[in-house]
Amino acid sequence: MSKLKLASYWAAACGGCDVAILDINEKILDLAEVADIVFWPVALDFKYADVEAYADGYIDVCLFNGAIRNSEGEHVAKLLRQKSKVLVAFGSCAIWGGIPGLANFKRRDDILNRVYIESDSTQNPERIYPQTKYRVPEGELELPEFYKDVKCLADVVDVDYFMPGCPPTAAQIWAVIQVIASGNLPPKGAFIGCSNKTLCDECEREKTGKKVKKFYRPYEIIVDPKKCLLEQGLTCMGPVTRAGCGNQCTSANQPCRGCYGPVDGVIDQGAKYISALASVVDAGTPEEADRIISGIVDPAGTFYRYGLPGSLLRRAK
Amino acid sequence: MKRVTIDPITRLEGHGRIEIFLDDAGAVENCYFQIPELRGFEKFCEGRPAEEVPQIVSRICGV
Repeated sequence: MSKLKLASYWAAACGGCDVAILDINEKILDLAEVADIVFWPVALDFKYADVEAYADGYIDVCLFNGAIRNSEGEHVAKLLRQKSKVLVAFGSCAIWGGIPGLANFKRRDDILNRVYIESDSTQNPERIYPQTKYRVPEGELELPEFYKDVKCLADVVDVDYFMPGCPPTAAQIWAVIQVIASGNLPPKGAFIGCSNKTLCDECEREKTGKKVKKFYRPYEIIVDPKKCLLEQGLTCMGPVTRAGCGNQCTSANQPCRGCYGPVDGVIDQGAKYISALASVVDAGTPEEADRIISGIVDPAGTFYRYGLPGSLLRRAK
Repeated sequence: MKRVTIDPITRLEGHGRIEIFLDDAGAVENCYFQIPELRGFEKFCEGRPAEEVPQIVSRICGV
């Protein structure tokens, strides 16, 4: 049997997903036994022209991380879709927009103004913004178009599988690579490298059904290491977040941040969390409920921390 | 004028492209380094709780 051909790419991403692949450590040698990597900008020197020269479907599996922020991201997504038999939205940015998706709380022009005009480290007295086409004495240069909104990978191409996490854990990545190598692929559209339970379901912290009178920011309280973080008044996203990370944050006394997104059947993690909060608030009157809930600083940014572009809201007004 | 495009620059975090223009003798006439990526952390960190910021900006570069 010929070796698998793998590719990995980053669009609007941080590289953490690529490093998570490298975090399989010495198993990378086992990977090299079963697969040839044919495109991976963080680690190998293939160019876009190399990918363009591949036959359609030449790549067996492409792990695509990062959100679609500009026209280059969309262009490369379409190129890799055409060249790949299986395309995996790899990591929370590719699936729902991730941290770069927080930009959908802001307007495009305000982002450009802040970055290229107002920032303290920028000197731009001529107020020049990046142009998609720019004439230089030697010819014309091009830059991608910075879109109005951050998009998800599935907004621009057909996606076969979804592997959540910010980033996905190395253990889950290795497990998924083994599944891919075996050829026993799950049904199209499946979430892989994760559970379909919530993090809350797998959490071993003690839940007593205690209601919340006040929400705290993490620095305002000393956390009881054994008890449910939500019942202690922290905005833990565990009730509405897919398990699979190994409960890394809650094991470190930090509330779940929600990076694995919602479980199957939930289309909006933030809306689901509002529902979950409603069931834990201990209020006798609507006014008291208002007071308790308004103790949550930046609720939209917290509940849609990794998934605004992929949510029902998609962006702030 | 001959043009050599290196796209993408690899083995670093982020996106980069180099455009090199050569004169008729094949010597470098000019060279442009371009960064085609922008995410806008400078803006979308505004208004967020202070304790969130270290966890957000750690996603500027995960390498």
